[in-house]
Amino acid sequence: MDRRLFLQMVGAGGLAATSVACPRFLSKGKAKAEPAAPMGIPTSCELCPNKCSVLAMVEKGRVHKLNPNPENPKSRGMLCARGNAAIQQVYDPDRLKQPLIRVGERGEGKWKPVSWDEAFDFAASKLKAVKEKHGPEGTLWSSTEGFQEVFFKNLGMSFGSPNILRHPSLCLASVNLAYSMTFGTVPSFDLQNAKYVIMAGANRFESIITPDTMDLIGGVMERKAKFVYLDPRFTVTASKADEWYPIRPGSDMAFILAMIQVIISEDRYDKVFVDQWTLGFDKLAEHVKPYTPEWAEAETGIPAREIRRIAREFADAGHRAVFYAGRRSSWYQNDFQMRRAQAILNTIVGNWDREGGMVPNRRVAKGEFMFLPWDDPKASRVDEVEKAFPLTSAKDGVYLPLRENVLKGRPYPVKAWMIYKQDPLHSVPDQGKTLKMMQGMDFIGVVDIAMSDTAWYADVVFPESHYLERTDPIEVMPGIWPAAVLRQQVVKPIHDTKPMLEIAQGLAKRLGLSDYFDYTIDQWIEAEAKELPVENGLEYMKKHGVVAFSEPKYGTTRNAVYRFVTKSGKIEIFSERLAEAGHDPLPAYASPVQPPQGRYRMILGRKATMTHAALANLPWLHEHTPENDLWINTDEAARMGIRTGDLVEVSSTAGTVRLKARATEEIRPDCVFMLHGFGKKSPWLRSVHNVGAADAVLLETAWDKVSGNAAMHETFVKVVKV
Amino acid sequence: MSKTASRRYVMVLDSRKCIDCKACVVACKAENDVPLGRFRNWINAERSGFYPRLRASFDPEQCHHCENPSCVRVCPTGASFQREDGIVEVREADCIGCKYCMVACPYNARFFNEETQVVDKCTFCAHRVDRGELPACVETCPSRVRTFGDITDPKSPVHALLEGRRYRVLKPQTGNGPQLYYLL
Amino acid sequence: MHEPVWEFLIVNYLFLGGLSAGIFFVSALCTWLQTDGQASYPRIARAGALMAPWPVALGSFLLIFDLGKWWRFWKLFATFRWESPMSIGSWLLMIFTGLTLVNAYAWLTEEERNRLFAKLPAKLPFRQKLMDFHPELAAWKRNLAMIGFPFAVGVGIYTGVLLGAVQARPFWNTNLVAQLFLFSALSSGTAALILARVLDKGEKDLAEFRFLYTLDICLILLEFFIVLPYLIHGQLSVLAVREALGLVLGGRYTFAFWGLFLVPGLLAPLAIELWEFRPVLSGKGTLHITRNLALTAAGLVIFGGYVLRYVFVFAGQASGFK
Ligand SMILES: Nc1nc2c(c(=O)[nH]1)N[C@H]1C(S)=C(S)[C@@H](COP(=O)(O)OP(=O)(O)OC[C@H]3O[C@@H](n4cnc5c(=O)[nH]c(N)nc54)[C@H](O)[C@@H]3O)O[C@H]1N2
Ligand SMILES: Nc1nc2c(c(=O)[nH]1)N[C@H]1C(S)=C(S)[C@@H](COP(=O)(O)OP(=O)(O)OC[C@H]3O[C@@H](n4cnc5c(=O)[nH]c(N)nc54)[C@H](O)[C@@H]3O)O[C@H]1N2
Ligand code: SF4
Ligand code: SF4
Ligand code: SF4
Ligand code: SF4
Ligand code: SF4
Ligand SMILES: [Mo]
Repeated sequence: MDRRLFLQMVGAGGLAATSVACPRFLSKGKAKAEPAAPMGIPTSCELCPNKCSVLAMVEKGRVHKLNPNPENPKSRGMLCARGNAAIQQVYDPDRLKQPLIRVGERGEGKWKPVSWDEAFDFAASKLKAVKEKHGPEGTLWSSTEGFQEVFFKNLGMSFGSPNILRHPSLCLASVNLAYSMTFGTVPSFDLQNAKYVIMAGANRFESIITPDTMDLIGGVMERKAKFVYLDPRFTVTASKADEWYPIRPGSDMAFILAMIQVIISEDRYDKVFVDQWTLGFDKLAEHVKPYTPEWAEAETGIPAREIRRIAREFADAGHRAVFYAGRRSSWYQNDFQMRRAQAILNTIVGNWDREGGMVPNRRVAKGEFMFLPWDDPKASRVDEVEKAFPLTSAKDGVYLPLRENVLKGRPYPVKAWMIYKQDPLHSVPDQGKTLKMMQGMDFIGVVDIAMSDTAWYADVVFPESHYLERTDPIEVMPGIWPAAVLRQQVVKPIHDTKPMLEIAQGLAKRLGLSDYFDYTIDQWIEAEAKELPVENGLEYMKKHGVVAFSEPKYGTTRNAVYRFVTKSGKIEIFSERLAEAGHDPLPAYASPVQPPQGRYRMILGRKATMTHAALANLPWLHEHTPENDLWINTDEAARMGIRTGDLVEVSSTAGTVRLKARATEEIRPDCVFMLHGFGKKSPWLRSVHNVGAADAVLLETAWDKVSGNAAMHETFVKVVKV
Repeated sequence: MSKTASRRYVMVLDSRKCIDCKACVVACKAENDVPLGRFRNWINAERSGFYPRLRASFDPEQCHHCENPSCVRVCPTGASFQREDGIVEVREADCIGCKYCMVACPYNARFFNEETQVVDKCTFCAHRVDRGELPACVETCPSRVRTFGDITDPKSPVHALLEGRRYRVLKPQTGNGPQLYYLL
Repeated sequence: MHEPVWEFLIVNYLFLGGLSAGIFFVSALCTWLQTDGQASYPRIARAGALMAPWPVALGSFLLIFDLGKWWRFWKLFATFRWESPMSIGSWLLMIFTGLTLVNAYAWLTEEERNRLFAKLPAKLPFRQKLMDFHPELAAWKRNLAMIGFPFAVGVGIYTGVLLGAVQARPFWNTNLVAQLFLFSALSSGTAALILARVLDKGEKDLAEFRFLYTLDICLILLEFFIVLPYLIHGQLSVLAVREALGLVLGGRYTFAFWGLFLVPGLLAPLAIELWEFRPVLSGKGTLHITRNLALTAAGLVIFGGYVLRYVFVFAGQASGFK
């Protein structure tokens, strides 16, 4: 793609050029004509789940700039602060430079740099030993999404372990389950065309999701869509909303049920749609009767008349009104039911598969590489997910219940833990417990690009090549603007690192699993590229980095023959399956427990310059957030004589931390908040080592009843000035 | 660069859309090797009010590439100069680091670059613009707060924006004639 | 402005430059004023001539080494930009420094000069030439004085214009600053010469002191009557200027301005000098010098001159438009 055209192009685009809604790639056609300015190497950002398309500028074998690749409609021709800072990961002096084997005690930080062979031999022998003693199920393989994650998982599975544990049960398991149980799929929200948007704690302007973040800002500021936002904190998103309500934590469902009650009792719902496509509406009508706005006011702290008004406006906006699902739904123990309530609210205004509504995802077709399959594991999962959470996706597992079982050695011992692209010491609540679980292991192997805290406590650290140094499988990003993206090598690895595939192959060789990995990444992507909807896909991919549909398709499921992938084939407002599994078939509200006197509810969230617990260490990002602090409402702080900058001690039943306080008006008096990603134990994370505090130390163990998703807003903390 | 005296580059900012994400700041650092702790562009954040009645606004700022740049006027060596297209730059080889231009800039847009030992500031990414590309901060901005272009070109989006919308400039009283336009 | 970019080196530079200008000005005045063919105050003239070069030389030297790239300072003279006070100023200072040196040379007596050249290594070719060279000095001195006046005044003004020309800083941006700095420079110069004369072991005469005191009192009064309008005018000016003045009227630099400059550095010496002058004014008796009072007054004037520049350099940078 030739970026020289931009000046002229935006010229042609006129006003719209400032509108997020006008992706610049539209006039790509013309691009061919002009000679190219310095062309970047197209690849895909890896610093968060969005996988934006990047053009990497390389000079003398060094990446010096990453530019957005406007060809990807999903990333809307942008790169966020983190994406821009990725270069610093490659040239980070503290980076993992070769395999390491622990020589001192766990966490003591005594490392022996070793060759890859030594690292593989050592790890393989340990894994074998555990296998002999406890069987393959004695090994746990946990990871977070990423293009090479597949090779890590495949290694675990071909090794015979049922215990593949992925990040969803820390993130979005409950929202995904809630929507698939209702629609048989997880849809996207057409914020580019919506006229009325309600978001409950989906902090889109700090927690960046493409293209939602950009479409929302354009929608709110240019197309004048109405935007209502609920959040106990005054976030950047709140500051842009037409209406912000500091809702009482955990009471969102009450707000939603009351909206439904108003819409039904006032006959404002989409009858035609409801009759034709849904199941159990009458039960719903009956069910929500008691949930009046007046009742909800007491729960949420939001005035009844406002709830009523919002419900009416929402219904009147009809299929262009959306109650946004949110992504990190690891909130409360009833999170699944709250998201179900959202799904149902969206259903009754008939926004399903309509422009400006809730649209089922499209995908870009791609081929699959055929590798030798392995036998299913003999043992069942250690988290007993099939039993405890029959509805949730067994293949991803449930993190917290799993940890409980492993700590108890139930139903069988797990003694080896392999970890890929994940930092459980920070991303899993109750760091103390996770440490305990680690200490119980005979072996821990971590594959990371940096010395994370988890890596710091491992026995072997395998340094993976940075995303700019490796070629990954082609990934399809489903959505309203679906895309298939390639991550290709931009510079040769500058240290003795390997991509996950080669690490898997190194281990597979020693574990006698080579047959399952006898291919190269090139063969893999070649197979994938074959079925891409473009002429000679592989070349195209290497040249453009992305194949995408820039025109949305609406209504593909709105036809007589379409069957929703649910038991009834309809949108299940009332869910038999839930009833069978012993859960509420319709979302029933239970008032959340409130913090006792002198305690505060700890809530979590993001910041645009950081990803989870990672990245706070990157200089270009760190200079914007040198340290995390405890947000506490000014009045509460005053009562305790706490001033901004004072050191406070924060404690829960899980642990205690110390950090500076920030007395602020921008949070409810009954909550406190701190950013994720500080208080690191690993000295190789220079600027955040022992700086600020780690929220994971405080978070207590709790999960959503239906999905098993972690419930991370259920912790009450005590705050004292020190 | 293409010599057309008639060109005049300006930037139009729609601050209401700014989400304070710092993408522009980091992009600038990468593009222009801006040292840590120094900034060619920054976001002025203003927060006010009392819970639950709160406001926050974010205004990106950088060198305004003034019509009558006081920095250029005071520079004793001519190291600070203005191009025909309005872009104000510092010619490193001629800068003696007297910092007079820093004192003379009403917007505090300049800083002393300890690495190069000369004064540094936003260049509108002249090197990119001369290749027909957009400034790094403009290209990367997730919410398209920033629009860059030649105000003398009727086809340019900046032209259209300033025709169609009301706007303000910062500190007009200085008489510098700033060329960052903030839409209202 | 977040952190000031101009700090004490600039303060010293402005102060020392002004001091030299003042000293030279007074010395030149004393050369130029004649009573029956003779310079009226030869001792002052000579003292000033010999003192003038050194402060400005030191100031410029310090400044050059404060530059980000000091070895590029020659670029200052590779161009002349009449728009840039610093460009004009650099040229002024260079010429002025040169002049003061030549002038100082002219005031050396023959044997002083020989003693000076005697220090030069014998083999230097032009050494002998220099020793044999005896210009017609009396005339020289007067011409140098005449040529020197505008440059001295120029330098005095420049130290103010450097700041006054900066529109961006409301605290500075008024023509009063240039005048204020000029008179403060001349007054500091006068004070320096009072010091020199008091401390000089050699014979003194009251006429000299009467002259210096008269001059200084006038200059201090002028200075004072610029500070007043500066403050009043500022108060009636636009918000930005009022805010800027806030820095010295109940702001970060209030104490320095009142407690160090205005009262001790301006009014106190004025009071002392008037007190010493009391007999003359009241007609009965002549001026009489109390050594310590004289030293104190002169010292305070110089101190005040320094503080004035400190306050302006720092407060100015702290000021700005909203
Ligand atoms: N307290 C708290 N806990 C949370 C959350 C929260 O907001 N607060 N959020 C939850 C959510 S939504 C999620 S999705 C999870 C995320 O949980 P994690 O995935 O554990 O989150 P990160 O902190 O991003 O950890 C990513 C790790 O992968 C490493 N890494 C980055 N790139 C690569 C790569 O290319 N290869 C390899 N091998 N490693 C790489 C990083 O160095 C880092 O150590 O956290 C959950 N847990
Ligand atoms: N910059 C950046 N962007 C990211 C990520 C990142 O790490 N950094 N991570 C990505 C990932 S993996 C995910 S899952 C998403 C997560 O993005 P989101 O789904 O937006 O989740 P959070 O950012 O955790 O925001 C949670 C918000 O909910 C508020 N909240 C807490 N309790 C309640 C409550 O009871 N009711 C309501 N209404 N609000 C409440 C919190 O104050 C917080 O502002 O972001 C994605 N995008
Ligand atoms: S949102 Fe930012 S970090 Fe995430 S993929 Fe896009 S550029 Fe990278
Ligand atoms: S990138 Fe755009 S939205 Fe982000 S801070 Fe800069 S101007 Fe604001
Ligand atoms: S903003 Fe400052 S640096 Fe930029 S042109 Fe104007 S005066 Fe010069
Ligand atoms: S610092 Fe450099 S650019 Fe600025 S005025 Fe001095 S010489 Fe000119
Ligand atoms: S235009 Fe270029 S130099 Fe100026 S702020 Fe933007 S990125 Fe930085
Ligand atoms: Mo997530």
